[in-house]
Amino acid sequence: MVQDEASSSSVTSSPLQNFSNMPLHPAAASPTTPPWMLRELRSDERGLCLIHLLLNCAAAAAAGRLDAANAALDHIASLAAPDGDAMQRVAAAFAEALARRALRAWPGLCRALLLPRASPTPAEVAVARRHFLDLCPFLRLAAAAANQSILEAMESEKIVHVIDLGGADATQWLELLHLLAARPEGPPHLRLTSVYEHKEILSQTAMALTKEAERLDVPFQFNPVVSRLDALDVESLRVKTGEALAICSSIQLHCLLASDDDATAAAAAAVGETERRSPESGLSPSTSRADAFLGALWGLSPKVMVVTEQEASHNAVGLTERFVEALNYYAALFDCLEVGAARGSVERARVERWLLGEEIKNIVACDGAERRERHERLDRWTRRLEGAGFGRVPLSYYALLQARRVAQGLGCDGFKVHEEKGTFFLCWQDRALFSVSAWRGRRFD
Amino acid sequence: MAAASSAHFFSLGEAQMQQPQNGAGAPAPVVAAATPAPKKKRNQPGNPNPDAEVIALSPRTLMATNRFVCEVCNKGFQREQNLQLHRRGHNLPWKLKQKNPKETRRRVYLCPEPTCVHHDPSRALGDLTGIKKHFCRKHGEKKWKCDKCNKRYAVQSDWKAHSKTCGTREYRCDCGTLFSRRDSFITHRAFCDALAQESARMPPIGAGIYGSSSMAIGLSGMAASQLQSFQDQAHSSAATAISAGNAQFDHLMSSSGSPAFRATQPTSASSSPFYLGSADDGQAQPAGHTSLLHGKPAFHGLMQLPEQHQPAGNNGILNLGFFSGASGGGHDGRLLFPDQFNGNAAGNGRAGGGDHGNSSNTDSVSIFSGNMMGSGFSSLYNSPDQAVAPPQMSATALLQKAAQMGATTSSSGRGSVNSLLRGLGSGGALNGKPTGAGGFMAGDSSSRSTSQTAENESQFRDLMNTLAASGSGAGAVFGGGFPGVDDSKLSTRDFLGVGGGVVRSMNGAPGLPLRHGAAGLGMSTLEPEMK
Repeated sequence: MVQDEASSSSVTSSPLQNFSNMPLHPAAASPTTPPWMLRELRSDERGLCLIHLLLNCAAAAAAGRLDAANAALDHIASLAAPDGDAMQRVAAAFAEALARRALRAWPGLCRALLLPRASPTPAEVAVARRHFLDLCPFLRLAAAAANQSILEAMESEKIVHVIDLGGADATQWLELLHLLAARPEGPPHLRLTSVYEHKEILSQTAMALTKEAERLDVPFQFNPVVSRLDALDVESLRVKTGEALAICSSIQLHCLLASDDDATAAAAAAVGETERRSPESGLSPSTSRADAFLGALWGLSPKVMVVTEQEASHNAVGLTERFVEALNYYAALFDCLEVGAARGSVERARVERWLLGEEIKNIVACDGAERRERHERLDRWTRRLEGAGFGRVPLSYYALLQARRVAQGLGCDGFKVHEEKGTFFLCWQDRALFSVSAWRGRRFD
Repeated sequence: MAAASSAHFFSLGEAQMQQPQNGAGAPAPVVAAATPAPKKKRNQPGNPNPDAEVIALSPRTLMATNRFVCEVCNKGFQREQNLQLHRRGHNLPWKLKQKNPKETRRRVYLCPEPTCVHHDPSRALGDLTGIKKHFCRKHGEKKWKCDKCNKRYAVQSDWKAHSKTCGTREYRCDCGTLFSRRDSFITHRAFCDALAQESARMPPIGAGIYGSSSMAIGLSGMAASQLQSFQDQAHSSAATAISAGNAQFDHLMSSSGSPAFRATQPTSASSSPFYLGSADDGQAQPAGHTSLLHGKPAFHGLMQLPEQHQPAGNNGILNLGFFSGASGGGHDGRLLFPDQFNGNAAGNGRAGGGDHGNSSNTDSVSIFSGNMMGSGFSSLYNSPDQAVAPPQMSATALLQKAAQMGATTSSSGRGSVNSLLRGLGSGGALNGKPTGAGGFMAGDSSSRSTSQTAENESQFRDLMNTLAASGSGAGAVFGGGFPGVDDSKLSTRDFLGVGGGVVRSMNGAPGLPLRHGAAGLGMSTLEPEMK
């Protein structure tokens, strides 16, 4: 062990020692020039430099030292590239997010640059999500597991009502149509209610699904509900009493945790008290909306509700914690994309820019009600769901086999499905990235 | 309970009011006289929807059609309102009661048949007319018969609706059989022999997830380009003794992922023979299995290429048994592919045993690939020849390395970044097994570093504690699961050339090594998280 450390420091001490001695403040003159100006760095050295720089910048931004953050960003810009290797691309995305965060101090600049309009259009987001489905199997695996649970829960039902809380992607439901059409007792009447913000995407989905249902001869009815999830009126879902209901939520529930009280929480954290006790904001004001929504869902008494969420804790109050967590998480995702797509792949660039990049920006640069990507780990969701009245239903073994088969069929052995107490964790190289769990409304006593 | 009983009276009230109006033997609508007594239950409190009152009526009450009877002429009515309007005709006092929407509670009804799904309160139906029809349809006698076909109905409206459409719509199967009913048509189609040919060519269900078969075409381009690209890599790095083994699996790692995904690169002519040649090898099954198609040909190509470049010693790893496809060969724990395509090849109906075999192979391979990453590390640390470019490290690997190095270079000052790096390391480390040793290192070195006088150390220590706590807490729950799962394999992994002893102690008590860095990592917070 000691020997390794010694050799490691001998291998990599040169660029990083310069680094550690290098002051961040531009005013302080330093005799050492940054290592990348001395020679061309190897990719791993460059990656390590980027990590150091990012952490420095995040620490500076969190502490409000914008000059230091600016210097760090400058250095990062010379090393990172949105079309480089995985670490470079991750660094570019996080650097942009940090820059936006720093710019919040000058709202005039933000508005003049029309920064909010730089976010992608709904069509671009839909395209990016499609590419993400293609390039990374996680959501496909989750969809397969969800479809399997729905199929099993609705085994002898003649009429099935499925509520889709915002996936708005037709692939999963096309699959479900196929599964239902292949049932031995014939397909049930399927009613699909899909909740999404943007009408055009919904109508495209509607057309694709209706066409396929006709082709398969499955009685099908599509009800679009154009609404944001946090403004959803449960009545508009038109659930008939007594019908067999399944709810599917694919990485949607976390936006319900967004609330405006970050300011007060941050102020309390600055004192240092709350940060030790509850590093994540699990306090009542911010989660009451989520609890109310979950309670409303429970009131619909679904037969099964499948929840897919990111398995990461990106909801801490402090920036640095979120930053470090997010860096690890998105590095894993970018690695996965790296394996999945060629270097100059347009699709991958779109995913990274319009989907993951937006998430990163939201996590790092936004606060309060704007920060909607409030990923939390499954144990916290479990507590919330159980608090709302749901009981956990283990995902079936057959669903596990299906998911594993899909994962293996992809040929890359980085993807694993880890099952624990009936919940699936979709992993990349042993890092769990998504969790899939199934729930049912508890019956009346 | 008083509230419940008042509701009891409330709904009985209607029924009881007719008792005096009945007089002569109309079917007794009073629930109390019928079997069973009604159970009116409340929903659980806290339901944001208005509480729905669950009402269970007896079959007699349910089927009673004319509950409201005029006292003068004994004419029966289904609804109270209709009776009141009728009473006007007799110059009797009448009163139209309006349902107060605020007071009226939503009611749901249970089916009295105990074997029915809707007998359960959670599946209660919302409409009285609905429950009546349901009860008739499902549990009643079918008195109405269609004259064209032989279908019988219990509810008159169903019968009428059917006779309108009977004979108007016909389904014809491809085998020539005619059906008037949709359900029998669909059932027939599922078993019809004439369609067997069609369905065999359709992709199996699982493959539907992969998208259209055009992927196969994209794959050939991908496989070809990847083959070409790692051909170059193989040349450059085959020279080094240590990294040869790593590079080989790096190629497998990097290019094994790609064939499964869509490709945008055009086919390169020089590499296409790989694909074509392997495509012929791989077609042991009908071409319908597109799910196989996109994995297998690429691997054929992959297997061919490294064989050419590797010294004989490493050859055994790329098991030639792969080419036999259907054979059970290649149970080399480190080789995933043959068995997995085996399992896929036999179709989706393959028994669970086959899948078990596959999954265990997957685990062993994934660990091995994790080992690859680790040995990638070790090649960096141990290789005396520093001029060799290590295989391109993934971002996660870089983060882990940064964490360890942040711990080791703490001696050079600037405690702030190193504290963050330690947090980074422990946050990232415990999220997965491969970094367990890294966490150990972080713990060790942090205990050394805390004795130093680094500036800003205290400010960032708090930060570090929370970092470690949040990262480690999350990871520990997860990591706690994993060592148990892959217990036997742990000893084979040796990420940093550390030796089995360290790793085993990590396995035995995942929290234990980290306690050494108690001051630095705030391990006190780890305890409650590690359930």
